[in-house]
Parts: sequence; structure tokens; C-alpha cells
Amino acid sequence: MIIKLALLLVCTAFAVFLLVDFLLWLAIPALPNILTQVGIALFILAAVLLLSAGVFMILKLILTALSTYLSTQQRLHRRLLFSDAKQQQLKQLFYFRSVQLNYFNDLKRKNLLRANNKAHLKALSAAINKDLKQLKKELSTVHYQQLQQTHQQCLKQHDVNALLKLQSDIATLNLTDDV
Amino acid sequence: MTLIKNWTLNVLDAFHTFKDEKLSWKSNNQAREHQLKHAQVLAEKALEAELKKRAVQIEHEILLLKTQNDTDLAMFKTKCKQDIKDYKQYLNALDQLKKSIQTSYTHLPEAVAFTIHHHAKHLLNQMWEAKDFEQKMRHEMQLIQFMSTIHEEAHHYLADSGQSAKLPEKTLALIQKH
Repeated sequence: MIIKLALLLVCTAFAVFLLVDFLLWLAIPALPNILTQVGIALFILAAVLLLSAGVFMILKLILTALSTYLSTQQRLHRRLLFSDAKQQQLKQLFYFRSVQLNYFNDLKRKNLLRANNKAHLKALSAAINKDLKQLKKELSTVHYQQLQQTHQQCLKQHDVNALLKLQSDIATLNLTDDV
Repeated sequence: MTLIKNWTLNVLDAFHTFKDEKLSWKSNNQAREHQLKHAQVLAEKALEAELKKRAVQIEHEILLLKTQNDTDLAMFKTKCKQDIKDYKQYLNALDQLKKSIQTSYTHLPEAVAFTIHHHAKHLLNQMWEAKDFEQKMRHEMQLIQFMSTIHEEAHHYLADSGQSAKLPEKTLALIQKH
């Protein structure tokens, strides 16, 4: 309706301008000036009307969008989405917590194993030292030092398998000596 | 002048005809329009009710999930604690086993006792780290068999008061086999 009115005003303004031209052609002195001002006023009015129609429509759209956003349906829909996200989050949280528990459990077990390995490494080293001391007189100095060196090296590297092999080698030496 | 008047009258006539048609269409379809509006309102209400129902359902599901997660986590925590306790007991049992070998076979080289203990620990870790249940059971059986063989041999050795073989041969054979 407003747009129709604005268009009508523009048309009227054009008609007035045509009339002004016609009056100028007829060389009527005062009237064209007044009619030109009327035409300009009509143009400005049409522009203002169009502008206000635009502003009014934007405001209307904003209000509609706002009322839709705040409507019960939309609120419920948002609540549903939120609950769904929360559910997913809970599932993820459970997964990550179990992974965390598993990790710490494994860490505790490894610490226990490490402590146990350390104690046994110490006992194994003491046994090797004892055996080496027993064999010191029977072995050449170079051989004895070599065995000691290997022992220290394996101990430094925490290599249980190498230490076990060394101990069995020493035991074999011991047995050979006994024979 | 008459032409302009006729033309204006025609335009006005067309305008009125258009208005009449619009009005008659409106009056003809008023009942249908009303019905459609009513159906729309009803559908909106039904959707609202459905959404409300779903929201309540999801809330309930969340509550259930929370409770279940808490219970499962508590159970998992207890299981982990028990696992650690069991592992500790196994390690202690293996230490005891080593001591028992050392006391039973007095002439046994210490290297053998250490090797047996090391192998038992290796079997224990294999069992613990197995991902597959079947594999875990297999390793457990191996460990149990290994430990029972050691105990059996130590028992025989003590019963014969050192007359039987000086080395736990069956145990050593098992180590070779594994």
C-alpha cells in the first residue's frame, strides 16, 4: 500500500513537472515556480515514504525473527539440541575417563614391575659379585676385569637377560673349576 | 475528452472487477482458509507436545546415562584396584617361588633360580598385557603350569631328600619350550 502510494506520488510529481513545462511553454510567469516546488515536495514525500516503508519492513522482519526465536517451538527445539549435545558429551566423558583410568592403572602396574625388577637386579648383581669374588683367585686379572666390566655395563643398562647370561657363564666357569 | 473519460471509466471498471473477484474468492475460500489455519494451529500444538515429550525423554535418558556411567566408572575403578592388588600378589608369589627354589635346591646355581624367576615374570607380564581374552587365558595356563611344575619338582626333591635330579629339569625344559 505504502509503495503504491509512493509510486502514485512520483507519478503525480512527473505530471506536475510536465504541467510546469507546458505552463513555461505558454509563458505564464508565476505559476511554474510554485508548481516546481510542489513537484519537488511530492518527490521528497515519495522518497521519505519509500524510506519509511523500508525501515518499517526491516523492523517488521527483525520483530518476526525475534518472536520466532523466542517462540515455544524454537525454545523447545534448542533445548532438545542442547540435551542431545549433553548426551554426546557424557558419552565422550565416560570414554575419556575410562582411558584415563586405564592409563593410570597401567602406570601403577609398570611402577610395581619397575620396583620389582630393580630389587631383583640388585640381588642378581650381588650374586654375580659374590661369584666373581669367589673366582677371583682362579681367573687371570684380565679375564676378571673383563667380567667385572661386562657386569657393570649390564647393570648400567638394566639388562636382566645379559646379566642372567653373565651369571650362567660365571656358573659354568665355576663348575669347570670344580671339576 | 470523451476518450479520456471512457478510458478512466474502463480503468475504474477493471479495478472494481478485480476487487470483486478478490472479494468473491475470499468469501468462497474463507471456510477453507479458516480450516487450514485451524489445522496449522493444531499441528503446531502437536509438534510442541511432541518436542516437550522428547525433551523429557532425553532428560530422563541423560539421567540414566549419568547413573550408568558413574556405576560403570566406579566398577572399573574397583576392577583396576583389584588388578593392581592381584599383580602385586603375583609378584610376591613369584618372589616367594624364587626363595622356595633357593631353599629347596641348596646346591642349585643361583643363575638357575634367577632364570626361573625371570621366566615366570615374563609369563606373568605376557598374561597381563594380552589384549585378547583367549590369549590371556592361554598365558595364564602357561604360568599356572610353570608354577605348579616348579612346586611339584621342589616337593619331590625335598621328599627324596635330595636323591633325585639336582636340577629342576622339567621346569628348565618348560623354559626351553616357551
